[in-house]
Amino acid sequence: MTGFLDNLLGGLALGAVYALIALGFVVIFKASGVLNFAHGSLLLFGGYLTAVLHDDLGFAGALALAVLATAVLAGVLDRFLLQRGGQSAHSAHVQTIITIGIDIVLLTDLARRIGGDLLSLGDPWGDSVTALGPVTVADSRLAAILVSTVVIGAVFALFRFTPWGLSLRAAAEDLEAAALMGVRLSRVRAGAWCLAGALAALAAVFLAAFPAPGLERTTGQIALNAFPAAILGGLASPAGALAGSLLIGLTEALVVGHQSDLHMLGEGFGDVAPYAVMLLVLLIRPNGLFGAKGAVRV
Amino acid sequence: MNDRTPAAPPVLGVRDVTVRFAGLTALDGVSFTVVPGSVHALIGPNGAGKSTCFNVLSGLCRPAAGTVTLGGTELTRLAPHRIAALGVARTFQNIVTTQGTVADNLMLGRHALSRAGFAASALRLPRAVREQREHLDRVREIAGLTGLGQHLGSPVALLSYGDRKRVELARALCLEPRVLLLDEPVAGMNAAERARMAEVIGDLRAELGLSIVLVEHDMGLVMRLADDVTVLDFGRPIAHGTPDEVRQDPEVLRAYLGADVQAEDAA
Amino acid sequence: MSDRLLDGLTSRRAGIALLAVTLCLPPFYLDAFWLRIGLFSMAAAIGAVGLALLTGTAGQLSLGHAFFLAVGAYGYVWLAGEPGPGLPPGLAALLAVLLAGAAGGLFSPVAGRVRGIYLGIATLALVFLGHHVLLTADSVTGGFNGRSVPPLTLGGFTFGAGDPELTVLGVPFGAEERLWFLGLALFAFTWFTARGLLRGRPGRALAALRDSETAAGVMGVDVARHRSAAFVVSSLYAGLAGVLLALAFRRVVPDYFSLALSVDYLAMIVIGGLGSVAGATAGAVFVTALPLLMTRYADQLPLVTAPGSAEGFVGPTEAARYLYGAAIVLVLLYAPDGLHGIVRRARDRVRLRRPRTPGTDPVTSPPQPAAAARSKEHTP
Repeated sequence: MTGFLDNLLGGLALGAVYALIALGFVVIFKASGVLNFAHGSLLLFGGYLTAVLHDDLGFAGALALAVLATAVLAGVLDRFLLQRGGQSAHSAHVQTIITIGIDIVLLTDLARRIGGDLLSLGDPWGDSVTALGPVTVADSRLAAILVSTVVIGAVFALFRFTPWGLSLRAAAEDLEAAALMGVRLSRVRAGAWCLAGALAALAAVFLAAFPAPGLERTTGQIALNAFPAAILGGLASPAGALAGSLLIGLTEALVVGHQSDLHMLGEGFGDVAPYAVMLLVLLIRPNGLFGAKGAVRV
Repeated sequence: MNDRTPAAPPVLGVRDVTVRFAGLTALDGVSFTVVPGSVHALIGPNGAGKSTCFNVLSGLCRPAAGTVTLGGTELTRLAPHRIAALGVARTFQNIVTTQGTVADNLMLGRHALSRAGFAASALRLPRAVREQREHLDRVREIAGLTGLGQHLGSPVALLSYGDRKRVELARALCLEPRVLLLDEPVAGMNAAERARMAEVIGDLRAELGLSIVLVEHDMGLVMRLADDVTVLDFGRPIAHGTPDEVRQDPEVLRAYLGADVQAEDAA
Repeated sequence: MSDRLLDGLTSRRAGIALLAVTLCLPPFYLDAFWLRIGLFSMAAAIGAVGLALLTGTAGQLSLGHAFFLAVGAYGYVWLAGEPGPGLPPGLAALLAVLLAGAAGGLFSPVAGRVRGIYLGIATLALVFLGHHVLLTADSVTGGFNGRSVPPLTLGGFTFGAGDPELTVLGVPFGAEERLWFLGLALFAFTWFTARGLLRGRPGRALAALRDSETAAGVMGVDVARHRSAAFVVSSLYAGLAGVLLALAFRRVVPDYFSLALSVDYLAMIVIGGLGSVAGATAGAVFVTALPLLMTRYADQLPLVTAPGSAEGFVGPTEAARYLYGAAIVLVLLYAPDGLHGIVRRARDRVRLRRPRTPGTDPVTSPPQPAAAARSKEHTP
């Protein structure tokens, strides 16, 4: 039973981190219709900066700077590459493929810098644990759940209560109409990309923290598992992304935790379980759990 | 190659068709009958449900109730491509062409009438090559009929608005339709283009003997071409008759009162 | 007009013959390194043509191409090898291609329902799940270390070293030389069939799907059937490419068939220009040859160090990845119709300069597939 609770908490923590990443996919998709394939390398960029800077600036300072820098990088990439030649010079599909190109360049560079190293991010939790009744939890996981809850709450408040959030929702409904109503699309986009970048940098910390050994050049790939999370919820729904992330996080943790019972699926099935779940969901609901059914319009 | 008899087209019957979108009733018990070989106009203010009605006829939208029949065949449950294969072709209010040349677009219209599959086309089997050539000949004829002959090799994207509208019409004709649905065929055209399009539609009906269902805001065109007119307002049929009868119907005048027909014409 | 057409036809035929002869020459003059580059390029081109049909022509974003390549490669190895049924290699190769096509068909419940970016992610799942299966189904795939590939034998002739020993025009024909001709034949087949498809009824139907499913349906195209068919056809080509790759590598390992490979293929068709056979080929050669050439000439290139030297420097593989990542971005930003479009524009410019009697041909500028990529979906 405690094993199950362990896995549950682990899954929750993982889901919370996925939610940070998936929320980034969703905001970017809502604002620009683009699926950002460079998200993993943005995450790695944030983690790398934290790792390099924490000796000089301390963890908090390094993280703050990394979050800021990643936000700026995301904004700059969107403004100067994706939006090059004007707001709608390239369709969302083309922009999506451009992000793949960006990802290749960024990832190659970061992987070259990191090499085979395991970088410590200097987080304050180390490998300490806390006993919660019958289960023992790594502090880093508690921190992941706590911080993600606060940040995600703040992001949802941003959606709901700020003019930017309203503009974002309007843009997601209908880009053209929003522009005609006076929504400054470029600002909405810039805000969305910066926010997504910041969330990715933050997520990097928890992906590299205990029980993970540290930041590796492959850490960014974990961001790919947030794809199923975002898709599961329906790409345009923040609440859906949250639900999808928790579902994916729990699935992954439970599959890994019960590996011995699931041996017929093969070792390491936990890593790909999110994709199996996603395929099943898409078969039943092609637009995700919370996605609107696309109506035929002529 | 074309097993359809050139005899008179079958009757297109619409019976009590009702369509609802998320609580909104777009069509409410609409019925009308398109007499073979006639031009039947569907008019009404914006949002009256004319385009929705077309979508039901071409299978893009399933009605909540009611039936559409072509001769003895019920169309209501059929997929769009099956309806097309039965000889119902349509154009769109906004031009929807594919990339490539005019010929490419018109050849797409021959899809349902040709058979070459993936394997035959990939291996360029003689029958596939021959079929393609035969259909290309017919496409040339139809392009000539609609005045697109000299544009056959031009990319659609480079044509004028009026020409692109005619590409859509020609593509629909390439299906050798028995019923042709025209959704605002002259919208956005200038006076000269309108006159020319009206002429083409008139010719088609005379030469090919097909039934035409027409949605149009240009009342002049409707009055000139239509044999029958059905008037929709908020999804409900409010009048039916010859153009002259409809013009004098008090219900129709009331429906159009706020929507000022003349103003819409100008736009 | 007809004279010009005839001239064009004759010069086209002559051009093709010349090209065919030229492509037969390398085994007599170049060493194994160049032959291998050519062989990998041809295999990649076959796969890229398949993806170009699916993503470029039919407009269905696929990141799952590596999976179908793997089905072809592993299918051949298992069917022809031990453990496995140990079929005659020729038959095994054919069945492996069909197996890949069947895998594409099995995916059709998803492909028929899921659209756009969702489909891209759904196909991503294929790669991850496929990779997992390759790693864990030891008895079939050999697990992490993979399996060695039995050489292809057709009617007693082995496309490998020896059996029978063969010397043509004084050049000993080893595995590379023989496989070169096999690759060339398969590539020619791909070129011929793919262009037949694109110019025929199925190609027009697929392009119509990409531009507007609604309009395609109304024009009589069975949308669901063609969406699945695009997947099947694309997977058949991927399977063929997979078999050829397996033969060229002589060993298949799971890690080769990763997401990075799918992205490589996407890069090929993007760099080459979406939806054209020639473009996909050019893109395939570029993406395949670049890292190999960079590695070979690392010591002569500025800013690039030989592999295995001090850390922190840019190695040849990395330099190649920088270049091709940047190529994707630059091509899409500045020449959305890719290499194919650039060549065509240059050709048209040359043609325009040539004096010509006015009014013979209203078509002077080419269609703009730039708009192709731009307005993929019809939003009325």
